[in-house]
Amino acid sequence: MIAHIFEYSAPTDLKEALGQLASGGKPLAGGMSLIPIMKLRLAAPEHVVDLGRIVALNYIREEAGTLHAGAMTTHYQIESSPLVRSRCPLLAEAASHIGDVQVRNMGTIGGSAAHADPAADYPASLMALEVQFRLASSSGERTVSVEDFFVDTFATALQPGEIITEVIIPVEDPSAGVSYQKMVQPASGYAIVGVAARITKSGGKVTKARVGVTGLGPKAFRAKAAEKLLEGTEGTAADIAKAAAAVSEGVESNTDLHASANYRTQMARVYAGRALSVAVSRAT
Amino acid sequence: MKINGTYLVHLPQERAYALLQDPEILAKCMPGCDRLDKVAENEYEMKMKMAIASMSGLFDGRVKLADQQPPSSFRLLVEGKGKIGFLKGDGLLKIETGDETTNVIYEGDVQIGGTMAAVGQRLLDTTSKMMIKRFFDKFAEVTRDLKTPGPVPAQLQD
Amino acid sequence: MATTTITRTEPLVGKRIRRREDPRLITGTATYVEDIQIPGMHHACILRSPHAAARIRSITTQPALDMPGVVAVFTGADTQGIGPVPCGASLPGLRVPYHRILATDRVYFVGHAVAVVVATDKYIARDAIDLIEVDYEPLPAVADPEKAIAPGAPPVHPEWPDNVAFTFHQEGGDIDKAFAEADVVVKQRITSQRLIPTAMETRGVVAEWRPGEKSLTLRSSTQIPHLMRTLVAQMLSIPENRLRVITPEVGGGFGSKFNVYAEEALMGFIAMKIHKPVKWIESRRENFLCTIHGRGHVDYFELAAKRDGTMLGLKLKLIQDLGAYHQLLTPLIPTFSVLMMPGLYKFANIQADITGVFTNCVPTDAYRGAGRPEATHGIERMVDILAAELKMDPAEIRFKNFVQPDEFPYATPTGLSYDSGNYAAPLEKALAAVDYPHLLAEQAKAREAGKLMGIGISSYGEICAVGPSPAMPAGGWESATVKIEPTGKVTIMTGISPHGQGEETTFAQIAADELGVDIDDVLVIHGDTTVVQYGIGTFGSRGTAVGGSALYFALQDLKAKIKKFGAMLLDSDDILFANGQCICNKTGKSVTIAEVAGASYRAMKLPPDTEPGMVATRFWEPPNFTFPFGAHIVVTEVDKDTGDIAIKRYVAVDDIGKIINPLIVDGQIHGGVAQGLGQALWEQAVYDDNGQLITGELMDYALPRASRMPWIESSHTVTPSPVNPLGVKGVGEAGTIGCSPAVVNSVVNALQPFGIRHIDMPLTSEKIWKLVNAGGQA
Ligand SMILES: Cc1cc2nc3c(=O)[nH]c(=O)nc-3n(C[C@H](O)[C@H](O)[C@H](O)COP(=O)(O)OP(=O)(O)OC[C@H]3O[C@@H](n4cnc5c(N)ncnc54)[C@H](O)[C@@H]3O)c2cc1C
Repeated sequence: MIAHIFEYSAPTDLKEALGQLASGGKPLAGGMSLIPIMKLRLAAPEHVVDLGRIVALNYIREEAGTLHAGAMTTHYQIESSPLVRSRCPLLAEAASHIGDVQVRNMGTIGGSAAHADPAADYPASLMALEVQFRLASSSGERTVSVEDFFVDTFATALQPGEIITEVIIPVEDPSAGVSYQKMVQPASGYAIVGVAARITKSGGKVTKARVGVTGLGPKAFRAKAAEKLLEGTEGTAADIAKAAAAVSEGVESNTDLHASANYRTQMARVYAGRALSVAVSRAT
Repeated sequence: MKINGTYLVHLPQERAYALLQDPEILAKCMPGCDRLDKVAENEYEMKMKMAIASMSGLFDGRVKLADQQPPSSFRLLVEGKGKIGFLKGDGLLKIETGDETTNVIYEGDVQIGGTMAAVGQRLLDTTSKMMIKRFFDKFAEVTRDLKTPGPVPAQLQD
Repeated sequence: MATTTITRTEPLVGKRIRRREDPRLITGTATYVEDIQIPGMHHACILRSPHAAARIRSITTQPALDMPGVVAVFTGADTQGIGPVPCGASLPGLRVPYHRILATDRVYFVGHAVAVVVATDKYIARDAIDLIEVDYEPLPAVADPEKAIAPGAPPVHPEWPDNVAFTFHQEGGDIDKAFAEADVVVKQRITSQRLIPTAMETRGVVAEWRPGEKSLTLRSSTQIPHLMRTLVAQMLSIPENRLRVITPEVGGGFGSKFNVYAEEALMGFIAMKIHKPVKWIESRRENFLCTIHGRGHVDYFELAAKRDGTMLGLKLKLIQDLGAYHQLLTPLIPTFSVLMMPGLYKFANIQADITGVFTNCVPTDAYRGAGRPEATHGIERMVDILAAELKMDPAEIRFKNFVQPDEFPYATPTGLSYDSGNYAAPLEKALAAVDYPHLLAEQAKAREAGKLMGIGISSYGEICAVGPSPAMPAGGWESATVKIEPTGKVTIMTGISPHGQGEETTFAQIAADELGVDIDDVLVIHGDTTVVQYGIGTFGSRGTAVGGSALYFALQDLKAKIKKFGAMLLDSDDILFANGQCICNKTGKSVTIAEVAGASYRAMKLPPDTEPGMVATRFWEPPNFTFPFGAHIVVTEVDKDTGDIAIKRYVAVDDIGKIINPLIVDGQIHGGVAQGLGQALWEQAVYDDNGQLITGELMDYALPRASRMPWIESSHTVTPSPVNPLGVKGVGEAGTIGCSPAVVNSVVNALQPFGIRHIDMPLTSEKIWKLVNAGGQA
């Protein structure tokens, strides 16, 4: 398990890094996905640009109703940050489900999003949270919504030479209830399905429901049919069951050794039910 | 692994049948392929670069058309081998006529070997579907103006 | 010389002493093969077949050779002079394919070695592999043993188109009579899936050839250094005394390193060719593809019984997936299953037919339990199926059929003689631990509430202390040398080859007790064929039972000699040896063991008929196997919505004879149960129809994880073995063997409301969900 020969640089300055990326460099974040595929020789970048020394990509801060997490913020930092835990508990909860301690200490939110693994944990929450990504390249910056960001299996809106610099997360309504529920693939620890739910209630009714799903289809998605079915209801067990049943609507389910398409679909419904129940019960 | 699906193409049946076997068109539409070199009747060689995000592999490929039943069906056999393994696809394409449109129904078997098989089983289904979708999306794009027989336009010959 | 009063120190045997090998392991200061650096060392990388079956039309190596840093490339054509990878098993009519160390004209499984590159560093070696062009003509392959013996299957070896490597028949008692007299016969097909041993350290070899001395040294991660020396010397046609095998630290084996692989001879060959040391370290992918797998059974059982639950006879048709070749003991493993098939039960009639089947897969061979888990899984499942059929309690039917304590030694219909036992005792203890009547009541309540709660019992037996030499292809004895050095320090050289079992601690405990010395004065050396006398190695739960017994006898020899010197030095004929001192019973004067040892080497004076020095060597031949046993009870709950299985309680009562170190025994039970759970719930090596291993990485091969382990309530009953002086039976495999049937019995029991009678392993959530929600369909 030895990678092809490659050049390595570790700039400390973002601009310098973007310059190197513009001339064909491949960004390296935590390396938890990139290094294995390089060692398997499924990827052979000629120049690896390590973003790990760029301090300006590692922060969590709150600004006028939004949280900003630098792309290099590790899963562990998100999971343990008091700011994230209080302002956006769903993201912290999702982070805590990723891999094991070592992986969470190395892997980053930017890397996970950019890799766009259809079974990764974060994307379900990123969808439910309707986050935005700030992207940068040597020719400038732009902001992309999460819906536009995830394009397909392992495919994102990132252009060659472009990186994620930060994730912009709306601060959660303090009365909202959230939950991330995941069925674990026993070998890899990734999600067979993972469902992130956010519920806001008012006057005994669900006023807003957001459901993000990972693992089920070629990419993470928002289960809008399920959201619609729940909004306006009282969020009873029957309401939740109805909504959960719609979670797979319009999605062609993945199939593999660990879960057939049908089983995956059923599990998406079960886990949607669980996530919604917890979220509804947590909403005040 | 068994695969199957249906795609709608905006072409008359006979035209779809012909274009789906046109090496120029195939070369344009097959993901990662830029040229088909004819090595025998209905048999072509190609270099393929398969890429999914940061993963990529180079393959020496071979495409074969067989069991042609104009204008309704034929078999398409694709083989590739490279350092990360090999792949084989054997599909029956049925071209069924609607009015303006035609349904292409495919049904086949995909086999992979080597590193790809050892580490890629969970992605085989998703990526096969994605590749086929890419093929038909591209097919729709390049055949948009080719509803009636005629020479292949110049921009397709580059 | 001093006068002393004896203060009896407490024996160390029986104490929870921390493993003396652990500090170096957990601080990263142990030396594994990969840690070895030799000046001028080169590196090898192996090109392996991506096809399960293919003809090799041609191999083009020049582009690899042209790469700077590449020193040599060898293919099958270069290594034809080397003997085949050895199969140590012999069975009547066994077909043994010629297993070359590199493929020549054909490959037989994915991962089959085709060429090797030698370069100045491992990176160049790996890059150069990609420059070798092999023109393969793919051939049809078969990966499933039942498909392989069906008509029309592609032949794995063209010379044997039926894919049958051997058949083996054994009968005991009168099986026809038993079935004729039966009130009920239950039948079931039961599989034990292929498993990947996945030792933490993959294999590795460093070969060093000294042309001047004409000597070859192999450092290899193995369980059997001496057998490897003998066999590799034959493969390479070099004198055995000029081959030295050293096993540095070995990071686990589980049977997968109880073997001689192509790479040992291949690295030896390369070192001798290039006159440079060469290192090869197996990658995890290679480990999955090329190191043996375990299990691979399809078993058809028929159990005959009386209506009162008395078992009369058992029939077994066993289909063993052998893979493409025989490794060291491949064909022998299923015969162990046959030996063990009656379990702990008294019936006298058995019939077994094994069909050993070639498939285009990596060979199977010994993996933790080696044949016994399959057999135990079979009989313990069949007993439960019978109990369900007769509407009897699974515990009751077991008690009714156990061999009784006064019946030992007990002759089984398979030809074994069980050494000692009280089979009811651990089951009674386990039932008491779970408060069985209360548990049954709880289950009834849970069922009423719509919950799927299961209780599973297994009462397992096993064959350990492998084994008497007639039962083994290369001897089943073991050796030990004990030296008391002139300063009184004790050095033990054992013929076994510990790789995680902890004998550096347990053997030191035994020696410290016998000699009355401080445990820190005892050093245990193993795994170097030039330093240690010939030995057989570590496998089959034999280390302490056989190797420890050899040590015990060597210690007795030394004690006799110590007393002779003590008598001489104290000028007394009434000597007591205790606590490391010889004491004259009359005068109370004493000499220490160090003084005695010193005197024995200085040899100013010698006792009559006594040689100088303080060294004893014993080779000990065990008169029989030992037969540990036990009972595991597992309480599970099945989640109807998902099919997930939760283990609520795991109670293990194991009788492994006398216990030398309870802490190490706990570790062995815990690890064994973990691997048993792995088989029961998660692990499976999956080959697709074309012979591609699609669980080729830890991303898809589901090993048990620490976070998924239940709490194991482990305890023991102690029935000493009469076979050896230590009274020990062996514990290496007990946990694994007892576990999987208890888990499956528990889950089948949980699903009883759905009329489920059997489920094959692994019990994946999807499989269970389908049974609960869709009547098995989905
Ligand atoms: C043992 C193990 C278990 C795991 N279990 C889980 C799990 O349960 N759930 C889960 O979701 N994930 C899991 N992962 C994956 C883990 O979460 C990774 O951290 C994540 O997929 C990639 O993040 P990274 O920072 O390591 O990125 P890298 O591996 O460094 O990079 C991944 C890809 O993203 C690109 N990239 C990285 N950063 C940027 C950026 N800022 N902008 C643009 N492109 C970028 C890289 O070029 C590369 O293509 C596991 C990984 C391992 C090794």
